[in-house]
Amino acid sequence: MQGGVAPFVVGLVVTLLLQSVRLGGLAVVAAFATAVYFVAGFTFSPLTATRKIVLLALAAPVIGIFIDFGVKTTRAGAGMLAFAAGVAALWIFWPVLSQKEMAQIWLIGGAAAIAVAFMVGFGQMFLADHAVRAGAAGLGAGLGVGVAAILAASATYGLYGIALGAGSGAFLLVQMLRGKPGTAGATFMLPAMLIAGLVAGGAMILAQLPWYSVLVLALVPVGARLPVPARARVWQQAMLLSLYTFIIAGIACYLAWHS
Amino acid sequence: MSKKLAMALVAAALPLSVSAAPENYTIDPYHSYVHFEVDHIGGLSRMRGRFDKTAGKFTLDQAAKTGSLDVTVQTTSVTTGDNDKGSRPRSRDEHLRTPDFFNVAEFPTMTFKSTNVAFKGDNLGSIEGNLTLLGVTKPVTLNVERWKCMPHPQSKKDMCGGNATGIVKRSDFGMKFGIPAVGDELALFIEVEGYKE
Repeated sequence: MQGGVAPFVVGLVVTLLLQSVRLGGLAVVAAFATAVYFVAGFTFSPLTATRKIVLLALAAPVIGIFIDFGVKTTRAGAGMLAFAAGVAALWIFWPVLSQKEMAQIWLIGGAAAIAVAFMVGFGQMFLADHAVRAGAAGLGAGLGVGVAAILAASATYGLYGIALGAGSGAFLLVQMLRGKPGTAGATFMLPAMLIAGLVAGGAMILAQLPWYSVLVLALVPVGARLPVPARARVWQQAMLLSLYTFIIAGIACYLAWHS
Repeated sequence: MSKKLAMALVAAALPLSVSAAPENYTIDPYHSYVHFEVDHIGGLSRMRGRFDKTAGKFTLDQAAKTGSLDVTVQTTSVTTGDNDKGSRPRSRDEHLRTPDFFNVAEFPTMTFKSTNVAFKGDNLGSIEGNLTLLGVTKPVTLNVERWKCMPHPQSKKDMCGGNATGIVKRSDFGMKFGIPAVGDELALFIEVEGYKE
């Protein structure tokens, strides 16, 4: 209910209401915020890593809207977003990382920063302009991170990930039912990939998700970039692309289970 | 004459002031533990756990009926007896260490610092203080159920020890996961022994 049904319903309503003004992508952050509301509430003191993730998640769509409506997306811009996301990951987790040995800092801090930066950069560069691919990436990454986090002993992060998947699923479902792609842009892609990467990083640093599982999860958006038949209908594309992402997410979850 | 009288009074009062000085005790980590109890599945059973590592100090001034308590608990040492994951992905103790509950990576300690110690007759009655858990500090009152001071039977070192209980709402400290399936009210049971410094 907290991580799946309620976020899905909210995501569906937001997509239906805002798709016509190219803001249907807000479904993903609305779904995530719904889960936060039910699971932990919007408290920001003391500012823990989890609360920093929530703060950045709420700020991400604002940046996304600015990119979509204010400036033109470029490769350099996507690179800068990726770099900023990696730095943000280090900012979030540094209080915990700084208490660890240097080798651990490099390993898990590096894995978190690289995963978040790659997901954000890849998503913005290759998926943001293709709403079906973007939706499939959000769906696979959200559910993958959610299940992996639960296997890593963090139900809170699990629910946050699943909510992300639910919101992305709602965004994708509307496109499947309408039979034509919607608009994703940075409004959808930035929060979807940022939240997925940060939640995976949190499940690794604060719970027990192995670093190699996080790196596999970071590859989920690549699955949404794989080719699909050019003449396939929107629902067929959505199903096939989601399947690709589920396979990669499944590998990450398998690794988390057996860690 | 008056000088001599004053000196005599000071000399007479000296033993009293010495006996009224607070005595400092160091908590014995091998005989001091914080246990907790919480409702499981809406009160189906009361589950128990404890923190294996506790350290701190207390002072006692029996004559002035004052004292203080300063305890630090390593939250990383939490255990409920379920630390083997078996065929599951993770054990309950591993789950308790995540941000769902004690978030030990970010908050490796929980502290209690007394603000007021009340006596009931010659014995400790209750200890009011501030509990800091997950970075949040809230007032908590511990009721002392047993308190005794005596020399250790073998080493003859002076020591004091006892038991205290208290109740906190974990949601007050931001630990909201699982409520109400896992109860909000956390009963604390503290057993403490300390050697005089």
